[in-house]
Amino acid sequence: MEAENNRDIAKSVFIDVLEKLAFMFGDAVPKDEIPEPSSDCTEAYMTFKGPRSGTLGIVVPTDVCSEIAANVLGMDIDDEIVIGHAEDALKEVLNVICGNLLTALEGDDPIFDLTVPLIKNISVPEWNSILESADSIAFILDESPVLMYLRSND
Amino acid sequence: MALNILVVDDSSTVRAVIRKTLKLAEIPVGQLYEAANGKEALDILADNWIDLIFADINMPVMGGVEMIDKMSEDGLLKSVPVVIVSTEGSKTRMEQLKQKGVSAYLRKPFTPELLKNVVDDILGVQDGS
Repeated sequence: MEAENNRDIAKSVFIDVLEKLAFMFGDAVPKDEIPEPSSDCTEAYMTFKGPRSGTLGIVVPTDVCSEIAANVLGMDIDDEIVIGHAEDALKEVLNVICGNLLTALEGDDPIFDLTVPLIKNISVPEWNSILESADSIAFILDESPVLMYLRSND
Repeated sequence: MALNILVVDDSSTVRAVIRKTLKLAEIPVGQLYEAANGKEALDILADNWIDLIFADINMPVMGGVEMIDKMSEDGLLKSVPVVIVSTEGSKTRMEQLKQKGVSAYLRKPFTPELLKNVVDDILGVQDGS
């Protein structure tokens, strides 16, 4: 019951942050309804330590990074500046989701130590592996598939 | 009066967003300086007059808290207003930062209106002092 509640909170925070930070609209969808990415993907992940410890990650098709950057910066997607910010923008989106999610889950008293977000490129089979894991949530973000996972160390 | 502003964040995207938001909020900016961590910020502060600092907490090399501690050891720098811009929502952390002299806490994501309110509050406090 608590796990289900936490997933609902995570869905809500993801949708809210993407809307406010990147002006992009997302919906949580059943995993069997999410399309497979047509290209390699980019994963951003970071760890947190406090009353709850674990790893939070987001995986997007690599071309979606530029779309996120363009929206965050309010620039055209083909602008060279946007291309240079693509991975950094995904890391920032993750960072904001992480801070807001931990407050939503644990309230505003505890202090968490957050690591700097990291990036890695992953293949479609690796995407599928994350999709099949129990701790991931599937979203459609402006028509693109996106995954988010919350892995607990506790 | 145009403000000389220093933005301290390891994310170039966040620095760009703050730059854009300052413009949208119609904050009068004189010189805008950028640093990727607290150490770079202290180097800029050593050579330039800064009216207001926006700083992140978690950064490599030197984080925002250590930067504020170093500033508080300097008679001139300790009076420069610092606004922490962070994703963290802990009231305990905010209280600790206020005790260290931080002027305000801006939680991400934020709007131009919120940023303007924070800057207006700080300038108002300074005008009245």
